[in-house]
Amino acid sequence: MISKHFLGLLCAAAICVLPADHAFAQEKTVKVGAVFPLSGGSASAGVHAKAAIEVAMDIINNAHPEFGNFPLAKSAGFAGLGGAKVEAVFADNQGSPATGQNQTLRLITEEKVVAITGAYQSGVTLTASAIAEKYGIPFVNGESVAANLTERGFKWFFRVTPVAADFARIFFEFLADMKAAGAKTDNVAIVHDTTEYGTSVASVIASVFKERGQTIALDIAYTSNATDVQSQVLQLKEKKPDVVIMIAYTSDAILYQKTMQSLDYKPPMIIADDSGYSDPSFIKAVGKISQGAFNRSSWSVGPPGSPTALIAEMYKKKSGDDLDDTAARAMQAFFVLCEAIDRAGSTEPAKIQAALKATDLKPDQLMMGYKGVKFDEKGQNMLAAGLIIQLQDGENYVAVWPKASAGKAPVLPYKGW
Amino acid sequence: MRRWLWLSVALALVVAYPLVLSTPFQQRLGALVLLYAIAASAWNVVGGYAGQVSVGHVVFFGCGAYAAMGAYAHFGLSPLVGIPVGIVVSVAISAVVGVPTLRLSGHYFSMATIAVAELVRLIVTNTDYLGAAVGLSGPTVPRNVFDLSFISALPYYYLFLTILAITLGITWWMVNSRMGFYLRAIRDSERAARSLGAPASRTKLYAFMLSAGLTSVAGALYAMMFGFVDPESGLGILISVKILIMAALGGAGLLFGPLVGAAILVPLEEISNNLLGGKGAGLTFVLYGAMIVLIARFQPGGILTLINRVWAKRNGRMPKTEAARGA
Repeated sequence: MISKHFLGLLCAAAICVLPADHAFAQEKTVKVGAVFPLSGGSASAGVHAKAAIEVAMDIINNAHPEFGNFPLAKSAGFAGLGGAKVEAVFADNQGSPATGQNQTLRLITEEKVVAITGAYQSGVTLTASAIAEKYGIPFVNGESVAANLTERGFKWFFRVTPVAADFARIFFEFLADMKAAGAKTDNVAIVHDTTEYGTSVASVIASVFKERGQTIALDIAYTSNATDVQSQVLQLKEKKPDVVIMIAYTSDAILYQKTMQSLDYKPPMIIADDSGYSDPSFIKAVGKISQGAFNRSSWSVGPPGSPTALIAEMYKKKSGDDLDDTAARAMQAFFVLCEAIDRAGSTEPAKIQAALKATDLKPDQLMMGYKGVKFDEKGQNMLAAGLIIQLQDGENYVAVWPKASAGKAPVLPYKGW
Repeated sequence: MRRWLWLSVALALVVAYPLVLSTPFQQRLGALVLLYAIAASAWNVVGGYAGQVSVGHVVFFGCGAYAAMGAYAHFGLSPLVGIPVGIVVSVAISAVVGVPTLRLSGHYFSMATIAVAELVRLIVTNTDYLGAAVGLSGPTVPRNVFDLSFISALPYYYLFLTILAITLGITWWMVNSRMGFYLRAIRDSERAARSLGAPASRTKLYAFMLSAGLTSVAGALYAMMFGFVDPESGLGILISVKILIMAALGGAGLLFGPLVGAAILVPLEEISNNLLGGKGAGLTFVLYGAMIVLIARFQPGGILTLINRVWAKRNGRMPKTEAARGA
């Protein structure tokens, strides 16, 4: 009888709605919610962030004396909480602002997490942090760059990552240095998609350059998840800009590099804005035909034996991919949050909030190339910074700028294939 | 009279639900079911009763959502002010779109509505006034009760319940009016209906406009609850599909069909995400999809037709609704 099956399914659905009691929380764990896009269009970013946070959990929960001064690594668990362990409770926001908010609510009210991290896409972070604000639960974001997130007057929202304006300044200063070294950088083109990420970053770069007296010569917009970008590449080929700034998600970034090769177009300099060009699958697919592409990052592996190199190794073992900038920023946010919980010596949200406000981490306590972590009254990290990396051999990015953190000197012009 | 008894029992259960299952997540789940039930019931007017399968209803959903958020973002008004604006804009758009597209039959109408929806999404994505790709936000911290920004889902639940009751009331009234008879005649055979003098084009257009206005209310309520709309979450074609599936699986062309569909699919989606989402394998959608395939395979008329049939067997007669459909 089919009908019986369906009644059964109905009952099953009804049972699932019944209170799921999670009262058996062990005393010795501190639950932190992690809301990421684990399915949908940005699943790759979310899954990598999840792996990065799992590595961070390993570092915090087990004794890792080899990390030296790195916070929370030396002893097992939170020293400030009698060795309690951290447990990240992951939830899938499906890349949807509504689902992100629902899942954040669930983590807060059902899983009883003491703080939240996430949620990758700026739009999802916006709605997810709004519900955390209403419940008075700290929300520490490591990877969303939309400017408005810290302009809402929130008291429970903290952002560790640099934002678009910080990166635009880095691009400008890098180009000024390259110009001083003899490269042509007057004629800059921006290629960007029409998503929230693409349009906002492009307009921020344009305005930062304009403030400093340089106008963007060419602005090319395209629709994300493109199937053909020949006309855009031909436009570049015709206008011959000195520098092309690429703002693209993974699939589009791959398509652009392939199209440039097939149309035999090599701009003198390509600078990518992270995202697609940082994705490990980008390097696998087209790294060999993108040699010499610059990219921005706050992550660099560092010398062997350093905490960053150890983290890179642990991450590679866990996920099979190299740690990319986005996942690394998410991981850094998780460390910042856990360091605050440890310092608060309490799982009370208000005490964690107070500890976050008092956060003052030095560069040697961080895995990212920030100048430190210290939040302003809006919750933005004032010391966030970045560096320029280059895909010199087509397989691995190396830090090339600024000189202080550079492993190698930048190579010009763009080599391609 | 038994029918009324059962209806009042069901109503009592619906009213009592958030008080009995009272954790914040359960209350929010209930509110979401009602929200999608409103949207699916609105779609049902034209998709179910008139048999015109619109896949572009997200346009009207988006109109409501953008009007509500726009009222706040641009004028500092309560998002509630956006509701009538959204209705007016939606009805206007539906009239403009409906006149040419409703002439198309079957799949061609569906395809035309998809095209319109994608067009609107692209236009909004490139319109700075509507927040372009970044979207519009509602009040982050509520200024007063009219901002409809609550911590608890309870106020949303009863608000949505009231609106759903109004939507179903309008639908019921329409179905039992002359227009309802025209619509069913058109759905079963437009040519026959025309030959008997039913004003097919005009009736379909009225149904489309009514449906558009109601859908925009659902969109406005959605935006108020989540406090944000962007082109993907307000105008993404998947929202149309979700609404359509809910109505179809519950029982398109039946008064309570969309409600039944929403009551099954929304919890299924949320709970499977709760249980499986954190694993990061995308299992949520596998389960969700499998469920849809199962229902489509074994009960294409919708869950409610099944319930009606079981009901009829017990009472030894054909259920009213199915008899009317000639099933």
